[in-house]
Amino acid sequence: MAGIAISALLLTACSSDDNAQIIPDDDAFSNGVLILNEGGFGMGNASVSFLSDEGVLTNNIYDLVNNSPLGDTGQSMYFDGDRAYIVVNGSGKIEVVDRYTFENVGTITDGLMNPRYMVIENGKGYVSNWGNPADPLDDYIAEINLNTLSVSASIPVVEGPEQMVVSNGKIYVAHMGGWGFGNSVSVVRASNNAVSEIQVGDIPESMYVYNDVLYVLCSGKAEWTGEETQGKLFGIDTLVDLVAFEMTFPTGQHPENMVREGNTMYYTIADQVFATNADMPGAPANPLFSMSGQGVFGAYGFAVNNGKIYVGDAGDYVSNGTLYIYDVAGNLLEQHIVGPLPNYFGFNN
Amino acid sequence: MKKIILIWMLMGYCASYGQQDTVFLREANLSDSYLLRYTDSREKIILSDSVIERNGSLLTDLLNFNSLIYFKENGAGMVSSPAFRGTTASQTAVIWNGININSQFNGQTDFNTINAMAFDNIVVRPGGGSISYGSSAIGGSIHLNNELKFKNGFENQLLLRYGSFATYVGNFKSTYSDERISLQLNLGRTGSDNDYPFPDSDQKNLNGKYYNNSLSAAAAYKVNAKNLLKIYGNLYDGKRHFSLISPNAIPTAYADYNTRSLVEWNGFYGKFTSTLKAAFLNERYRYYAHIEQPDYETGKTGSWIANYDLGWRNHHFMINGLLTFSHIEATGTNIRFAKRQTAAAGLVLKQSLGRKFLYEAGLRQEISDAYRSPLLFSFGLKWNAASIYHLRMNFSKNFKMPTFNDLYWPGSGNSDLQPETSLQAEIGNQLKFQNLTFEVAGYFNAVENLIQWIPVSADFFKPENVGKVHSYGLESYINYAKTLGKSHLEMQASYAYTVSKDKRTDKQLIYVPFHKITASAAWSRERISAYYRIYYNGKVYTDPQHHSTLKDFTVSDLGLEYALGKNKVYILGFQIRNLWNEAYQNVLNRPMPGRNYNVYINFKF
Repeated sequence: MAGIAISALLLTACSSDDNAQIIPDDDAFSNGVLILNEGGFGMGNASVSFLSDEGVLTNNIYDLVNNSPLGDTGQSMYFDGDRAYIVVNGSGKIEVVDRYTFENVGTITDGLMNPRYMVIENGKGYVSNWGNPADPLDDYIAEINLNTLSVSASIPVVEGPEQMVVSNGKIYVAHMGGWGFGNSVSVVRASNNAVSEIQVGDIPESMYVYNDVLYVLCSGKAEWTGEETQGKLFGIDTLVDLVAFEMTFPTGQHPENMVREGNTMYYTIADQVFATNADMPGAPANPLFSMSGQGVFGAYGFAVNNGKIYVGDAGDYVSNGTLYIYDVAGNLLEQHIVGPLPNYFGFNN
Repeated sequence: MKKIILIWMLMGYCASYGQQDTVFLREANLSDSYLLRYTDSREKIILSDSVIERNGSLLTDLLNFNSLIYFKENGAGMVSSPAFRGTTASQTAVIWNGININSQFNGQTDFNTINAMAFDNIVVRPGGGSISYGSSAIGGSIHLNNELKFKNGFENQLLLRYGSFATYVGNFKSTYSDERISLQLNLGRTGSDNDYPFPDSDQKNLNGKYYNNSLSAAAAYKVNAKNLLKIYGNLYDGKRHFSLISPNAIPTAYADYNTRSLVEWNGFYGKFTSTLKAAFLNERYRYYAHIEQPDYETGKTGSWIANYDLGWRNHHFMINGLLTFSHIEATGTNIRFAKRQTAAAGLVLKQSLGRKFLYEAGLRQEISDAYRSPLLFSFGLKWNAASIYHLRMNFSKNFKMPTFNDLYWPGSGNSDLQPETSLQAEIGNQLKFQNLTFEVAGYFNAVENLIQWIPVSADFFKPENVGKVHSYGLESYINYAKTLGKSHLEMQASYAYTVSKDKRTDKQLIYVPFHKITASAAWSRERISAYYRIYYNGKVYTDPQHHSTLKDFTVSDLGLEYALGKNKVYILGFQIRNLWNEAYQNVLNRPMPGRNYNVYINFKF
């Protein structure tokens, strides 16, 4: 069944008639990885690709299923139950789709302004918003009623809220800083939307919670800013919201893309992929492997799933990007041409 | 004095190759003297005021129909940048009365921030011209000229146009001249709600409103038989809301405020001519990240330019030496304070060998406190092989300097950048019969040290001299005019074949069509005129790896005019633009308007 649906998609993808519509199939996208391609800002060419576990790639699945373009600047995705929430930053909206058929089930627009990421806690959605990027004082978290797909509250936070994770009834918001440079994590209590802040290093870029500890990877300010700072990893005890440990990376190293699978933490520094313990991380001197053989100078999208490392390479930042899949030893397993600027992966399996 | 002007007029007439037989430029009335003196070995397309008047006021609209340039337009009236002979947006120079006015920030001119109606004629000159015009004259140059005539008396013209999407143009022009004084004033305003429906969907253009005001003034005074003073001024004040890419995107706006002024002193001393010019250019932009909020990003530059030109000529030889100095300052949100000084010296000459053959040659060296400039040269020849046929060739080295953004953008600016250079060769043939002119030219252009912003990391790009582009192509023009009894017919067509390859990938540059065609026909009989014009742009790639394309398209306009009054001084006009309701984009996901209408009145008194 899935095979038939995919053939239909491929045929359509090859035809020049953009108006062909796919009849959604219950399990068209059940087993595989969904790749969000950000597209160029202002170019309106965000898209989603699907790579099945059998290794069959289909690009532009949102457009093909829904006969409508996804929009401008696909920033991130969030999966919950059968739904995928696609945050389309430049279009100021969230497209809500069935993650297995990719049929659109709704759109959230009103109350969003420059949306970035989404999480769900306590039956409510939370979306980080930059507001007007030139205004450092209007950034907020939009609280979403998931039944009506509408914004039910707006929670002001400091500039540049990005990734969020949830733990113990709280939403942790990393402030990379938007057009400026951030160095804090906001804590939003889901019960009453009260906000407090925790200082971390410069440019908190990625986070996860493991065993009640919030790990926050701060890239530090890059050399080009003229005020370079060191990368740092923070551990925050989410029961009391206090910093439990802090680790500093050597000068000139700017770690990014921290993710966890099992008891392993993965992150990247420029073209290198590193691995360490997820609960007692160190800063290993030697990388797991380098992506330079593929001409990747930095992962634009990064994920680890089932022992495979997924890297989205933005290439020239205009043309279609490339998905590279490695094993944890750094052997290149697969590569696929996806849409422009592949930045986010979601796994259906 | 009179004799000199007469000679210049004749030379101007011989040198120019117009879109309309009735159009020719008079050198003494123009500030851009090199445009006529040293372009015998080149193509030139002269767009007269009557062509300009039938095109509205945005320079992009005029040149889409009347040149072989491809324009990338972010929706109607929005940011518009050229690709001329397959070159990049900053490799086309825009020359205002002889002065290069490309932005100091990005090296380009936004062709929707020039009000074409403010000028008496506009000349499109394909190919390199750095010898005369400096930086950016690589793909070609666009010359915006105010012509100061003498002994023409008092003339006024009012043009009012109104049409679909509440688009309006108002332009008033007044000129006065006697034997010694010539004055010109031009006031214009253009605006539009610009909320056009997209022809192939149920959406419409949102947040695309724009307006602009322009003021142009010029004056000339003949002090005596040997000395002539001229002054030119131009002010452009415009604001655009930028069209939204999708309905809930953040609405932004952009305001431009540019002023240009030029003072010129011409001396005619026997075989010597002397020209001293001083110009001041001011550009300022404001970018509103949200139109409802007062904060904006801004940048402004001031350029002081001094120019001295000494020429000598006899009947078969002409030589000019040029010295120029410029001081440019920039400040803004993204450039704290930067300044640059450049000086250049150049020599150009032209010689006729017999009645059928001439050559022209030039050398120019610029020195700058910010980068090293190459020695520029040009060499061209023209052979009038027969009364109906002439052959021309030219060879030149041209350049584009690094811009203020390239050099001084905080963090990214690269002070090691060198200018882009272009080495090019061209051969042109012209056949001219009584009613028909046919021209075909082939060229090759090798651009090195192309400045490109290269990603260093996801959020950090840096300009480097990395690109290398080879372009070649063909351009051809055919013009036909015929008067039969009371009817007059004029037809023109042009075609360009353009290959422009990034040498690293061997792929065609993005937004460069292989084919462009323009054509127009105008017919008039007594009080009635009708015209039809059309242009075709071939398919373009929108990404360097050629994964994404925009389909080819054809846009055409139909116009009807009726002249009223005893002396036919009131012209009533009606236009249908995009007659066949073509759904087209020249920039990815930026739909352009479908069929739309306007009426106008053109009153001369």
